[in-house]
Amino acid sequence: MSVAEFMTPASLDDALSIKKDRGAAARVIAGGTDLILRMRDKVLSPSLLIDLRRLSLDGIARTDEGLSLGAYVSLSQVLESADIEKYFPALPAACREFAGPPIRNRATLGGNIVNASPAADLVPPLIAYDANIVLSSTGGERVLPLVEFFVGPGQSVIEPSEILTEIRLPLMSTPSAAIFIKLGQRRSMAISQVNVTTRLTVGESGLPVEARIVLGSVAPLPMRAMSAEGILLGKELSDELLSEAAIKAREEVTPISDVRASESYRLQMTEVLVRRALLATRDELSGSATDG
Amino acid sequence: MVEMKIEFNLNGKPAQVSAEPDKTLLYLLRDDLGLTGTKDGCGSGDCGACVVMLDGIPVNSCMVLAAQAAGSDVLTIEGMAKDGVLHPVQRTFGETWAFQCGFCTPGMLVSCYALLESNDNPTREEILTAIAGNFCRCTGYQAVVKAVEQAAAELRAANGGGND
Repeated sequence: MSVAEFMTPASLDDALSIKKDRGAAARVIAGGTDLILRMRDKVLSPSLLIDLRRLSLDGIARTDEGLSLGAYVSLSQVLESADIEKYFPALPAACREFAGPPIRNRATLGGNIVNASPAADLVPPLIAYDANIVLSSTGGERVLPLVEFFVGPGQSVIEPSEILTEIRLPLMSTPSAAIFIKLGQRRSMAISQVNVTTRLTVGESGLPVEARIVLGSVAPLPMRAMSAEGILLGKELSDELLSEAAIKAREEVTPISDVRASESYRLQMTEVLVRRALLATRDELSGSATDG
Repeated sequence: MVEMKIEFNLNGKPAQVSAEPDKTLLYLLRDDLGLTGTKDGCGSGDCGACVVMLDGIPVNSCMVLAAQAAGSDVLTIEGMAKDGVLHPVQRTFGETWAFQCGFCTPGMLVSCYALLESNDNPTREEILTAIAGNFCRCTGYQAVVKAVEQAAAELRAANGGGND
């Protein structure tokens, strides 16, 4: 590591003008749980670190559209939020299986997004809930769907002058249900071999009007299995239909073999986990229907 | 590289040090402040031997820069005893043989302490979750769970309750 400077700006405007002046040589540091290791291993060598902690980006607030989450919100804060648990339960489900408590206390939503890891656990649930993100710069804000943020492993559309400041989650129309399933080598402290988030929203007919099947660790970027999603729309959610969608999802993913799992295992597990997640999502939906 | 002045509260006392901007809190504690109770295990957040309390929550000090801790309260294993009296969980660790080699113990104790600070009646599942980021290669964790349960019972009794 050889960072020359560390700055803790007191306002977002200050942070953004520093980022504009110093560009890619400056890295934003939030929790640091990934960045510090990548600096130590010399994968990244920023000359300046800009600490976000004084910028009040750690809020969770209700808005007209849904929830606004600051980029500096930690995973532990997600787990403490009753609103997130109520409206977006697949997100805390992913947080619960993320590393262990000391890391969850530091790691942030923004960090998990900006790292652009194909294995990021929080990204598939956020995409399944149609999250938008806010990229701020001295020129203003741009808002884009999270699913459009990623370009490849570790690569995204963020500009050197921009800082990710906010994640926006729109309230789902109801009835709606979502399930997160992670496969790792153990329950804690493991990086995903495959992770799946499914969401189904049904209309007045009782049939799905929206379907999301979002996968991590099985492609260069977190991805939606859109052909599989299409199979489910407007159809009775029979076991056979859910199995058919799972098979289709397997055809859509392009995993690699690495230290955590082989390509063929990931392919098989994609089908298994998508089917399980869809079955659980359907069960959750029928449970919430009888509750009403 | 310019050294930065970093002020923070360390085990209840103000501390002022100079450090490079990329120095981790772990090395600041061990090398600059001589507090070697906090251990350097894996250096990558996997083992939990370096866990300390930062502003009341347990964190891996190998993954926190000293500069990020400026202005914060830091509690290490050296600050856990009060006026020479061990915290109950430190004592029950000894009584139940919740360690053998002892290398994971400081970090493990900090995680258990953090749990007991917020919950003096944890379930077994809550204890296992609290120590999910602390690896112990000696004990198999059973004695650790027992030590936390015993300490929790003592804390409840001391808090005047005792009723579960």
